Amino acid sequence: MKFALAGNANVGKSAIFNELTGMHQHIGNWPGKTVEKAEGTFFFLDKDIDVIDLPGIYSFSTFSMEELISRNYLSEQRPDAIINVVDSTILERNLFLTLQLIELGFPMVMALNMYDEAKMKGMEIDYKKLSKELGIPVVPTVAIKRRGISKMATAAIRVATRHAKPKPIQYGKEIEERVSSIEKKLSGMDLAFPARWFAIKLLEGDQEVIRIVEKKKPSILKLVSKYSRELEKIHGEPANVVISSERYSIAARITSKVIKRSKYKETISDKLDKITTNKFAGYIIMFLAMGLTLFTIFYLGSWLSDWLVNLLSVIQEPLKNTIRDPFLFSLVWSTVDGLIAGVAIVLPYIIPFYIILSFVEDSGYLARVAFLTDSLMHKIGLHGKAFIPMVLGFGCNVPACLGCRIMERPREKFITAFLVTLVPCAARTVIILGLVAAFLGFQWAVALYIIDFIIILLIGKLLNKFMPGEPVGLIMEMPPYRLPSIKVALRSSWARVKEFIKIAFPLIIASSFVIEFLRQIGVLGEFSAVISPITVGWLGLPQAAGILLIFGILRKELVLVMLASVLGTTNFATALTQLQMFTLALVSMLYVPCIATIAALKREFGWKKALYIAVFEIVFAILVGGILMRVLAPLLA
Amino acid sequence: MLVPLTHLKGKKAIVREIHGGVTAKQRLSDMGLLPGTQIKVLGNAPFKGPIRLEVKHSELVVGWGLASKIFVEEIV
Repeated sequence: MKFALAGNANVGKSAIFNELTGMHQHIGNWPGKTVEKAEGTFFFLDKDIDVIDLPGIYSFSTFSMEELISRNYLSEQRPDAIINVVDSTILERNLFLTLQLIELGFPMVMALNMYDEAKMKGMEIDYKKLSKELGIPVVPTVAIKRRGISKMATAAIRVATRHAKPKPIQYGKEIEERVSSIEKKLSGMDLAFPARWFAIKLLEGDQEVIRIVEKKKPSILKLVSKYSRELEKIHGEPANVVISSERYSIAARITSKVIKRSKYKETISDKLDKITTNKFAGYIIMFLAMGLTLFTIFYLGSWLSDWLVNLLSVIQEPLKNTIRDPFLFSLVWSTVDGLIAGVAIVLPYIIPFYIILSFVEDSGYLARVAFLTDSLMHKIGLHGKAFIPMVLGFGCNVPACLGCRIMERPREKFITAFLVTLVPCAARTVIILGLVAAFLGFQWAVALYIIDFIIILLIGKLLNKFMPGEPVGLIMEMPPYRLPSIKVALRSSWARVKEFIKIAFPLIIASSFVIEFLRQIGVLGEFSAVISPITVGWLGLPQAAGILLIFGILRKELVLVMLASVLGTTNFATALTQLQMFTLALVSMLYVPCIATIAALKREFGWKKALYIAVFEIVFAILVGGILMRVLAPLLA
Repeated sequence: MLVPLTHLKGKKAIVREIHGGVTAKQRLSDMGLLPGTQIKVLGNAPFKGPIRLEVKHSELVVGWGLASKIFVEEIV
């Protein structure tokens, strides 16, 4: 048996998913789509049940990728029941999607989640009446307190075994007449959803549905456009707006029947919002929160990371004694070292990073950040939501690239990911601090950051100008502040850490091996000589820089580590001029993100776009490095 | 008198017209911003930042660009 969880964003779908599946979850990846969503299994009432957590959506138009994905999932995977999770405190808005889900014709139950919160806000919801109005079972739940979950699952199994299809909601006469007329014309066609749904979507002008029908029976489209025009004439609005408007008025009518409201009391969330969205205090709080987070991750991370590397390196000696052959040993060791590197990144940086992120995310604060930074992000053709992955980029580019999924459309997603790879992550910060701040002074490190931000701004503007399509504006729901649950936060962090390991580890380990192999057989040295016109001639660096930059692809801080081992000292001033240090740090900061980030980009956009970004950034870094080296030469001579 | 939401002086208003392309209209109507909807402005971010609105007992954030396409009638 197969269940799908569907609902708006921030309604507690994931919490319900976790309650159902416990730890028996895995990240699923269904055919044709690269986007992943959690999939899991549970055993209940003698049945093995698969459950999928669909992305949070507000409608079934095809505006966003999430909506399209959800639709494709439902049409291809055909779950036995849909569990529609709704936020009781904003039932009216949530019902808009519920009404559309009902039209899809799957057996369905509603989880009236956050029922306790609605009560606290003085709302009395008559869920039995709601169930009657909608024609589906309605179960009040409080997911994070495990209340109502087994009742909900029982109800879902019941509707699934009975194949109980809900009765669709009736619209006004003008719409109904036209819908049923189109529906008749569609009868006998092989369609993934009920003909009535197709008829409504055709009237709404849904491009995907029009394409499907065009292939099968194009003659219908003429009738559809006639009807759409008629509706537009009657109401003075396009047919899709007319239908949405009807859905919202049905939602309002139902809500007014089932909810009794006592006087609204100002909640703690409202009070917090007055400060955190304030024109001055809001920004101060945001910068403090960001600074504190990055500072914690960076200091805690580098301390733990050093400690772990030292701890794990003790196996080097025994390994050396076991494998006598130096060539073989260096190959084996580089592979082990790759693994150690992975562990030393994941445990100290990624895990704390994800835990903090999950807390901030669950609290609802990220939506405030998007609100505060929207006008800034518009300067680079994006909107406020893009600020979030950009900030994540300071920790590590890999989760930041995966975080670009919050952007609604492919265009915005790609631009955001491109810019994210230019954000100096913790590893690049190590280089900037260890090389530039330590030997040239703090102001030069700040200068590097400023250069980087200017570059991000310019590239953002250029991408926005030359990529096809229009930028889209911000519209989002602002969820109330909620106290995050530790359990939920830990669980979602764990799922993300697993995902990171899956993406990054194989590549870090494999490429450590390959690069060491190339070095051993002397190819790397030759390569450094071959590219010396670039490294030495154009960038003014020593020839050995070629090797450093290649190792930096594994993880950026290796540039610094390798530099120390090439020079045999950590006092870099003995071998490099200040200008060379600055150039090396600048190029390291800009050229391709590390291999793990390329893997993350590939996962999100495919090889072609991932390599496009990588190649662009290598060329760009060299170009900018050489130019700035010449500009700054008089200052740093 | 109709004014764009970005120029609304008071707090409460009713949405009367939505200008702009099909996509913008679809997005706004999916989120419940339709002609006839009552809204209340809760605040806004500086430098032509987004506007916080109360719509249908929930809160929405609408960017300046989209907000300038929403024409409203102030309720006095």
